[in-house]
Amino acid sequence: MNTFHLKIITCDRIFYDGECESIIFPGFDGLMEIQAHHAPMATTVAVGEVRFRDPDGNTQSVIVSDGMIKTGDNEVTLLAFSAERPDEIDAHRAQVALDMAREEMQRKQSIVEYNISNAAMARAMARLSGARSIHPEDFNI
Amino acid sequence: MANAHEILGRIKSIRDTMKITKAMYMVSSMKVQKAKRKLVETLPYFTALQEQITDVLLHFPEMTHLFFDNRPEDALEKVKRRIYVVITGDKGMAGPYNLNVIKEARAQFETAQDYQIYAVGETGRHVFNAEKLPVNKEFRMSSNNPSVHRARLMAEILMERYRAEEVDEIYVIYTRMRNSISSSVCVEQLLPFRTSRYLKGQMKEGMNAVAEMEIHPSAELVLETLVRNTVTGFLYGAMVESQASEESARMMSMKTATDNADAMLADLSRQYNQFRQAAITQEITEVVGGAKALQKKKLRRKKAQAVPATSAE
Repeated sequence: MNTFHLKIITCDRIFYDGECESIIFPGFDGLMEIQAHHAPMATTVAVGEVRFRDPDGNTQSVIVSDGMIKTGDNEVTLLAFSAERPDEIDAHRAQVALDMAREEMQRKQSIVEYNISNAAMARAMARLSGARSIHPEDFNI
Repeated sequence: MANAHEILGRIKSIRDTMKITKAMYMVSSMKVQKAKRKLVETLPYFTALQEQITDVLLHFPEMTHLFFDNRPEDALEKVKRRIYVVITGDKGMAGPYNLNVIKEARAQFETAQDYQIYAVGETGRHVFNAEKLPVNKEFRMSSNNPSVHRARLMAEILMERYRAEEVDEIYVIYTRMRNSISSSVCVEQLLPFRTSRYLKGQMKEGMNAVAEMEIHPSAELVLETLVRNTVTGFLYGAMVESQASEESARMMSMKTATDNADAMLADLSRQYNQFRQAAITQEITEVVGGAKALQKKKLRRKKAQAVPATSAE
């Protein structure tokens, strides 16, 4: 299968820099898949799970916070604030964050506060669901 | 001797202070390392973000956006309402670090007609509050241990005010590390973005942007995400860099303090030894003097006893 170069860059490290056959990510209005030789494109990535298949046929799963993806010259760059493998996720911490965000949502809030807790809730839920699905081979890409 | 005793007391207190400065030096040097590492780690993310903004701008050169400085409305505004985000340390004892930031901030405030201060770090907030400057009361951020989470909160608050068009310009005043010994305060315009800066950088590299590019779902939305991430990233970077500068300033001043304490100790212990020596010498002189006096007395008594004996004979 044709491959392309994938780079996943986060705030504190370069998460992945290598060849890849296909990547599926949560886009603005649903899941999107990019394969080799995609036309130049820029789009947003929502909070959630990104799956990509490396040339060995292994499917890797990453939980990302919101970011951007750009394609061109058979190269895909994904920029996100954080990216974690499911086994790196501290499920307990995510649960605490989720509970806290839920509690915050109960209070009357300003728009800013609402946006903040809404985003925090989305991140916590994405990480929790990532932690639950710790076996990436269960996902059929 | 009261004086020698006093010196001993001072030596002890200086030793105790030195223990503290030494410990603070160690803590700061660890924190500098940590902050520097964080700074290096964020670099690839930053460059990639800027490249993407340039990319989008190059493909849509005619696009004007609230977040960019090429809007025709901007030219009409006479008074620019500004927000200054001033990043200082939470604590003192960092040499001239806090003072430098505050000085630069004051100079900036003089050029502004309508402004508000968003203080990050306790020291700055205290000073500006004491001077009765317009400090935003709800914005309470610590500058210790910067995290992405805090940067997100700050970005959300600032961008909300900007989006509501309550402010026209947002500046960040922070300290940048030039190298491990020197740092300088800088003022950076956070919003609106300077389009020219992004485009100029790209022109230099000689990249052409003729290739068609698909933007999904819309250029505005993509740009908005990019801008939010850049603002968050920038705030995070500025906080990390300030923290690194603060800790390195503290490290240096603590090193100087320890060195000074060492010099003082050497001085004092010499003085103390002098006093001690003088006291010993005096005591010896007294003992010797006393002994001599006794001897003389004995001799005299012997003579006195000897004289009557002979006279009685």
